[in-house]
Amino acid sequence: MSDQSVIHDIGYQRYTGTRLGRGYAARSLFEHGLRVAFGLGRSAKAKIFPWIVIGMVSALAVVVVAIKSQTGEMVLTYQQLPSTISVVAMVFLAVVAPELVSRDLRNQTLPLYFSRPIRRSDYALAKLAALVVAVWLLLAGPQTLIFLGSAFTAADASGVAAEARGLLGGWVVSAVYALIFSSLAVLIASIASRRAFAAGAIVVVFMVTSPVVGLLMALGGDGPMAQIAPMFSPFLLPEGVRQWLYGTSLEVGPYGPVYGLVTLLLVAGCTSLLVLRYRKVSL
Amino acid sequence: MTIAWITARGLLGRRRSWLLLPMPLILIGVTAVGLAFDAPAADLIDGVLLGLGVAVILPLVSLIVGTGVLGSEIDDGTVVHILTKPIPRSRIILSKLVVAATVSAVTVAVPMFVAAAMVGGVKLGLGFAAACVAGAIAYSALFLALSVVTRRPVLVGLLYVVIWEGLLSNLVTGTRTVSVQHFVIKFAAEVSGSSLFATTVSTAVAAVMTVVFTVVGTWLATQRLRSFSVAGETS
Repeated sequence: MSDQSVIHDIGYQRYTGTRLGRGYAARSLFEHGLRVAFGLGRSAKAKIFPWIVIGMVSALAVVVVAIKSQTGEMVLTYQQLPSTISVVAMVFLAVVAPELVSRDLRNQTLPLYFSRPIRRSDYALAKLAALVVAVWLLLAGPQTLIFLGSAFTAADASGVAAEARGLLGGWVVSAVYALIFSSLAVLIASIASRRAFAAGAIVVVFMVTSPVVGLLMALGGDGPMAQIAPMFSPFLLPEGVRQWLYGTSLEVGPYGPVYGLVTLLLVAGCTSLLVLRYRKVSL
Repeated sequence: MTIAWITARGLLGRRRSWLLLPMPLILIGVTAVGLAFDAPAADLIDGVLLGLGVAVILPLVSLIVGTGVLGSEIDDGTVVHILTKPIPRSRIILSKLVVAATVSAVTVAVPMFVAAAMVGGVKLGLGFAAACVAGAIAYSALFLALSVVTRRPVLVGLLYVVIWEGLLSNLVTGTRTVSVQHFVIKFAAEVSGSSLFATTVSTAVAAVMTVVFTVVGTWLATQRLRSFSVAGETS
C-alpha cells in the first residue's frame, strides 16, 4: 500500500426519479402473465401449445361462420360455444396455469418478486387475473369472430343489433367459464412446483368429475338429483349459471340461484386459498 | 434390476405419488353409488367402467406414471448418472417400461376388477382387468417414448388423450384403429364375453395395434436415448 491512496469519485449517484410503486408492479406482473399465457415474447417452443389450442377454436368459429353464410343457419349459438370448446379450454389451462405459477416455484424466483413493493396477495391475484383474462379471450375470441362473420352477412341493422345482443350474452357466459376454470386451475398449479405434475393434476380434477356427474344425472332422471348433480363438475357448473341467467341450457329446476351462489363461493374460496397459499409459501 | 428398483423408489417414494390413489377409490365409490341406486348394468358399464375407468383413469394414470419414470430424471438432470454407466440403452428403457407398466397396471386393473365384478360378476371383472393391463402396457410404452422425444411429454400426452382419443376417435371413425382406448374396450368385450357394450374395432386389429404401439414406443425410446443430448431447462 502506498501512502498516497485516494478515493476517486467514479460517479455513483442515488436514484432520484419517481419510484413506481405497488400498483405499477402488480400491473406489470398481470401484463407479463397475459403475454406468457400466449407465449408472446417467448421462444417458438413456448408458443406451440397455446397456439394449437387457439388454432382449433378459431377453426371451429370459421366453420360456424361458413355454414351460417351459406345456409343462414346458426349451428352453434354464442352461448353454446364455450361449452363446446370447454375440453379444449381445459387443455389450454393445463398448458398455461403451470407456466404462470409453477415455473416461479420451481426456479425459486419468488424472493425476487417479493423483494419488490408488491404484497404476496398482489402476486397471487395478478397471476389469477392474467389467467382469467387469457381464458376469457380464448372463449370470447371465437365468439367475436362469429359475430363479425354474421354481422357482415346480416340483412339489415336490426339483424346486426340482434347479433350484438347475442354476442354480449356469449361474453357473459365466457366470463363465468373463465372465472371458474382459472380459479381452480391456478390453485391446483400453485401447489405443484413441477409443470408436468401441475398439468396432470388440473386435468385429473377436471376430467374425473364429469363421468361421475354424468352418471348421477342419468340416475336422477328428472328428479332433483339430476338438477343438483351438475354443480359438482367444473364443466357443467357454468352451464347451470347460464341456465339461471338466460334459460338456454340444461334443466336445473328451481336451483338456478344456487348455481350462481356455488359459483361465487367456488371462485371466492379458490382465490382466498390461493392467497393463503402464497402467504405460507416457502421461498 | 437396480435401475428398476431406483425408478420404482423414485416413483412411489414421494408424496406426490399419493395423488394416484384417489382415482381408483373414486372408481369403486362411484360404482357402489350406482349399484345403490339400482342403475342398469349397461348404464354402469357405459358410464363408469368405460366413461370413467377406460377413458379417463387408465390414460391419465399411465400418463402420469409413464412420463414420470424417465421424464422426471431428465428434468432433474440425474439421467446423466444412468447414461454414463456401461448399460445398454435398451435395458434402461426396458426396465423403465416394466416399472411404469406394472405400477399403472396395478393402480388401474385392481380397482377395475373390483368395480366390474360388482357390476357384472367375476368374468366381467377379469375381462376389464386383463384389458386394462394390456392398455397400461401400450400407454406406458407410448408415453415413455414421448418423454424422450419431446421436452414437454405431459402436454403432448394430454393432447393425445384429450383431443385424439377423447374428441376425434368418437367423431372420426377412422382414427379408432390408432386409439388405445378402443383396443381396451375390444379386449374387455372379448375376454369377458359380455355383449352389454359396443365395440368398434376387430380383435385382430386391436391385438396387432397394441403390440405395434408397445414395440414401436419401446424402439423409438431406445433410439432417441441413444442419441440423447442432455440440455438444461429451456423455453
